[in-house]
Amino acid sequence: MEELTIVGKPVTRVDAQEKVTGEAVYGYDLVLPDMLYGKVLFSPKAHARIKRINSDIAKKYPGVVAVVTGKDAPWIHGEAIRDKPFLAQDKVRYIGEPVAAVAAVDEDTAQAAARLIEVEYEDLPAYLSPEDACKPGATPIHEDFASYRKMNFILPGAMPNVCEHFKLRTGDVEQGFRESDIVLEERYFVPTIQHAAMEPHSAHAQVDPATGRVTIWVANDAPFRALHEMSEALGLPQEKIRFINPLQGGGFGSKGGLKVEPVAVALAYHTNGRPVRVKFNREETFISTLTRNEAVLYIKSGVKKDGTIRAREMTIYWGGGAYAEKSPTVCIRGSLPGPGPYRIPHVKVDGYAVYTNKPVAGSFRGYGIPKVAWACEQHTDELAKRLGMDPLAFRMKNVFVDGDVSYWGERLHSVGLKETLTKAAEAIEWGKKSPNLRGLKIGKGLACIQKPTRSPTMSKAGVIVNAKGEVAVLAGTVEIGQGCSTILSQVAAEELKVPLEKVRMADLDTDVIPYDASTTSSRSTYHMGNAVRRAAIDAREKIAGIAAPMLEAKREEIAFADGKVWLKNHPEMSLTIGEVIRRKLGSEGKVRGDASYTYELAKDLDLETGHSDNASAFYMYATQAAEVAVDEETGRARVLRMSAAHDVGKAINPLNCMAQIEGGLAMGIGSALHEHLVVDDKGKVRNPSFLDYHLVTALDLPEMIPIIVECAEPEGPYGAKGLGEPGLAPTPAAIGNAVADAIGVRVYDLPLSPERIYWAIQQKKKSQAA
Amino acid sequence: MKKKIGITLNGKRTALEVPAHRLLLDLLRDEIGLTGTKEGCGTGDCGACTVLLNGKPVNSCLIFSGELDGADIVTIEGLKIGPELHPVQQAFIQDGGVQCGYCTSGMLMMSKALLDENPDPSDEEIRFAISGNLCRCTGYAKIVKAVQDAAAELRARR
Repeated sequence: MEELTIVGKPVTRVDAQEKVTGEAVYGYDLVLPDMLYGKVLFSPKAHARIKRINSDIAKKYPGVVAVVTGKDAPWIHGEAIRDKPFLAQDKVRYIGEPVAAVAAVDEDTAQAAARLIEVEYEDLPAYLSPEDACKPGATPIHEDFASYRKMNFILPGAMPNVCEHFKLRTGDVEQGFRESDIVLEERYFVPTIQHAAMEPHSAHAQVDPATGRVTIWVANDAPFRALHEMSEALGLPQEKIRFINPLQGGGFGSKGGLKVEPVAVALAYHTNGRPVRVKFNREETFISTLTRNEAVLYIKSGVKKDGTIRAREMTIYWGGGAYAEKSPTVCIRGSLPGPGPYRIPHVKVDGYAVYTNKPVAGSFRGYGIPKVAWACEQHTDELAKRLGMDPLAFRMKNVFVDGDVSYWGERLHSVGLKETLTKAAEAIEWGKKSPNLRGLKIGKGLACIQKPTRSPTMSKAGVIVNAKGEVAVLAGTVEIGQGCSTILSQVAAEELKVPLEKVRMADLDTDVIPYDASTTSSRSTYHMGNAVRRAAIDAREKIAGIAAPMLEAKREEIAFADGKVWLKNHPEMSLTIGEVIRRKLGSEGKVRGDASYTYELAKDLDLETGHSDNASAFYMYATQAAEVAVDEETGRARVLRMSAAHDVGKAINPLNCMAQIEGGLAMGIGSALHEHLVVDDKGKVRNPSFLDYHLVTALDLPEMIPIIVECAEPEGPYGAKGLGEPGLAPTPAAIGNAVADAIGVRVYDLPLSPERIYWAIQQKKKSQAA
Repeated sequence: MKKKIGITLNGKRTALEVPAHRLLLDLLRDEIGLTGTKEGCGTGDCGACTVLLNGKPVNSCLIFSGELDGADIVTIEGLKIGPELHPVQQAFIQDGGVQCGYCTSGMLMMSKALLDENPDPSDEEIRFAISGNLCRCTGYAKIVKAVQDAAAELRARR
């Protein structure tokens, strides 16, 4: 392979300048000429029938232009399952569901008028736990579920309120348990948390009364998926809808699908062409956009005395909240590798995505893996303990290596897991016991994960080179803070051999940008990286074709470097790329390269067994290791230092990789120690503010040791895999294992709050006394 | 009720007539059009809207415009030194202290306020200073390093 000039270098971000000067315009900043301001009336009931809505007073309120309810916006959307109305139809299913909306000349007026809308409800029984909601005889939250449109991979459950049942069947777990020397069964719980991206949600919409064309400005992480979903819901062809993406201030999974867009569009149909801006404030963002699925996990394993795992059975209830959103696919892609990255001959998994009357849950960075890892990785430590084995040695004996066939039937390659285990452990001096300080118990723990990516998916890209030698990259990948604009610019610069400063990303507008599946699932570097690389090569070859006669040379005699086309062996014979294009096509001339990358599945996941020859385009592997101190008197756990070794395939930008790992780790530490969106027994969120919902601050974090492992993926661009999500996935389990090591008793529920740890210690003392 | 106020905004004297209850954050973003100052919560919990008021860092979402007559206000748009980036802006770029960028304006204003008072802050002092500025992306490590590097650069310039 040719030597890489810019791929692999820790260059600074191409978007940093506009962000440090305040010039960057985010969705929340966007001002449109003559726009109106929208506010929403949210449901105060977790589950109720709407008897009557009276908006007469609101409509007459001075400054109000439009008031809309479900009757005015009879549209239903949803990706995997079409179940979510733009505005509540006949009934409400969670506290925070949009019921009506107002557009007015300013936000205060819209808010005041929204409060004047009267709604009469008739209460229905509310289900606030996924296990309760799917018990035999439970009232359906969606009476018409059977008639909803669903994607072909959806397997609804036989139990009430189960919108997806994922099944994995390999071998015979009962036989596996009989063959085992030790069998252990446990229950774990992961509560609801929220994405809490620093930019709250918003959307702007406009409907052209003459053409019926709908334009939506929104910082959505998957504009083409949003376009598809909106088009299906409105019954309009995609050409009639346009999504324009301003910059996004973080999303972490909360800004895909349709969130504020439906309300903005519903209003925009009633404002005679004036655009409407709907901004959710922080509280509204907490309750009415998206949360992370809570999960109840039962896990049972059988192991032999020699330390091999014979069987593992898991039953997972994923709390979906009131609408399916992405819970079905979280259930599938989280449950599939749920038993962990281990060689196990007998495996059985049942994953259930269950409707509840809580805020909508769905995709969140990690897509199910943080929850299954919380159970599986602590359970794995407990097995090691019962075997008298070191947890690291136990894992080294059982983890997947190259050539293994996974329990879902796929032959694995490029497995960098063992190297991540070794390096993460070394970084915190695994095996060396730190002395307990007075009142503080010190412990160490680690956890590892394997994460698939959304497959099959497609990315397309365009690369345009102008007569000045400047390059524009047309890619549907959204800059959500993860650094894709830098990575994709590096890829284009590498293939065209131009300086990075010559490359810029085109603005994202579905009218002109080529299709991309989504900016999710850590898929962009791999899929869009491949597409941009191919598009840049396509442009380069076109330029070479133009340059060859100018240099009186054949294609193979031409090389590219430093923004120039060279004649090999004759370095004095060169033209800049810009000159080549100008001479042939004039000063306004452009050369465009186009390409597409699709990862195809040989066949879909088998619905009855969960088996697949290739369930994912690639897999990400990671190990994190923590050292913690627990105050036995207060139960407070503090992380002292934490390493995170991630197999990224190839670090296209090591600085950015480190930044992703550190950021993920911080989020993981928060979710381990204190994050919890508290929903009371009426279904109301009790802590929808940053005062009460504890995000990690700069003072809360330990020494973080990010480690890059590069086990190249042959299909990935330059060997790259993905990295965005795994940063937080093993974190709570690693900390949980360290806490158990410190205090000698395990905590099964997140977060690891002082109360939980305190009571675990008391329980241990009580049982020791008895 | 509208009130006449005179403020110095990013070094320029400006006369305004504003509703007294209008929050400084909304005044800057909606009425003056300076959207570099970000709104993250509107309740003083996240620090994204930090600006300097008479040299001190404040959450602009907690300040009424009616109180501002005679005030000197510096926002992210006024952080540059002439045409040059302030060393703290440069350091955030160099060290990778920016990801989604939504907390960045507030972080930078808070960091400037710290460095104006304390030219050689320790790691702990930096973390304390920015502990009211939430960031969901970075894990803060690279931000802390950037503030240290900016401090060193500012000291070297003296």
